Amino acid sequence: MKILLAEDTVDLNRALTAVLQHEKYDVDTVLDGQQAADHLDVDSYDCIILDIMMPKKDGITVLKELRQKNIITPVLMLTAKAEVEDRVTGLDSGADDYLTKPFAIKELLARVRALTRRKTNYGTDELKYNDLSLKSDSFELGCENTVRLSTKEFELMQTLMINQGRLLGTDYLLEHVWANDDNSRPETVWLYISYLKRKLKAIASSVEITGSSSEGFMLK
Amino acid sequence: MDIITIGNDSIYGDKMPALENACAVLSQHISDIRNEMSSQLGMDPVEHYLTRIKGEESMREKCVRKGLPVTQESALCVIKDAIGVRIVCAFVDDVFTIRDRLKASGRYEVIEEKDYINHAKPNGYRSYHMILKLPEGFFAEIQLRTISMDTWAALEHHLKYKKEISADSELIVNELKRCADELASTDLSMQTIRDMILEQ
Repeated sequence: MKILLAEDTVDLNRALTAVLQHEKYDVDTVLDGQQAADHLDVDSYDCIILDIMMPKKDGITVLKELRQKNIITPVLMLTAKAEVEDRVTGLDSGADDYLTKPFAIKELLARVRALTRRKTNYGTDELKYNDLSLKSDSFELGCENTVRLSTKEFELMQTLMINQGRLLGTDYLLEHVWANDDNSRPETVWLYISYLKRKLKAIASSVEITGSSSEGFMLK
Repeated sequence: MDIITIGNDSIYGDKMPALENACAVLSQHISDIRNEMSSQLGMDPVEHYLTRIKGEESMREKCVRKGLPVTQESALCVIKDAIGVRIVCAFVDDVFTIRDRLKASGRYEVIEEKDYINHAKPNGYRSYHMILKLPEGFFAEIQLRTISMDTWAALEHHLKYKKEISADSELIVNELKRCADELASTDLSMQTIRDMILEQ
């Protein structure tokens, strides 16, 4: 697990590097924004910790540039207490989380763990619900039999599995699965729910989708 | 005209005309079911169907493979697919409707049923198999499946007889399984769309 740490306060930088290395992370340490950008051009990381106030190039600029290059690595911003605007700008520019100075080292480590865990969970894991499994690398929905889902079927199934026990309304699904794209309508949601209902039956799963277009849908 | 096969050579012996007749009667029954369903659904549920009497060579070979004496008795009473029917449907629900109609007709004794559609084989094979005892006393094996299941089975069959495939065989087997699962998924989507159209 490789981390890029950009922090211009030498003492803090040194302390954080030591703690992260102690936790078995592979750490690249830099003291200004330009060096951070240079490292990002040649290397890839599992997590990036960026201070906002840095010489040569500030953290927000580094962040905006890396998101423009489609680097999706989780970013944790370090901000001073007064910088409310910076925190908002940071999150809006693509940061995943922030931490206000002064902070407890324990909390920083927990946030780094959370950010890197999220990536592995979304990328490779297999979701399970009762007798059902959904593989995100192959879009395979399985119980006794298996079927391969289309992209939207997969995303809808994933959303239902992540939100088990909660009724998800048609509007919520249009917003979260179809990102409100122009061609999607409430009927689209109903059709895709119908596809999944049939496919659940075809793989001989005991899981069903209950609910209706008006009250919302959930797994049961 | 097909009766030329009678002779000392035929494993079916003097039963061949009766066997052919039974096959024709079964075929007519399937045709009747098809016509009835066509007028109810407004579309023909059957894409195509084939009936065949197992060839002499093939039947003799099967007797030998199963360790049975090569006799009329083995061919007609022990082995149960002297008559074979394959019914290929456009939609998966029609497969089950035709199965139900055949059973409900009361003409046949159902000897065995294997639902490889709801319980696919590990390699991805999907089809519904039934062995029926016909009123004439002969056995017939009925295979019911959709067009995509049929397409998949055709390619898989072809592959099975290509012995030289070895290095990539695992990859090919896995990929064929993936195709079977994708086709099954598409079959179900098409069925859902048809239901939606019919509801309107």
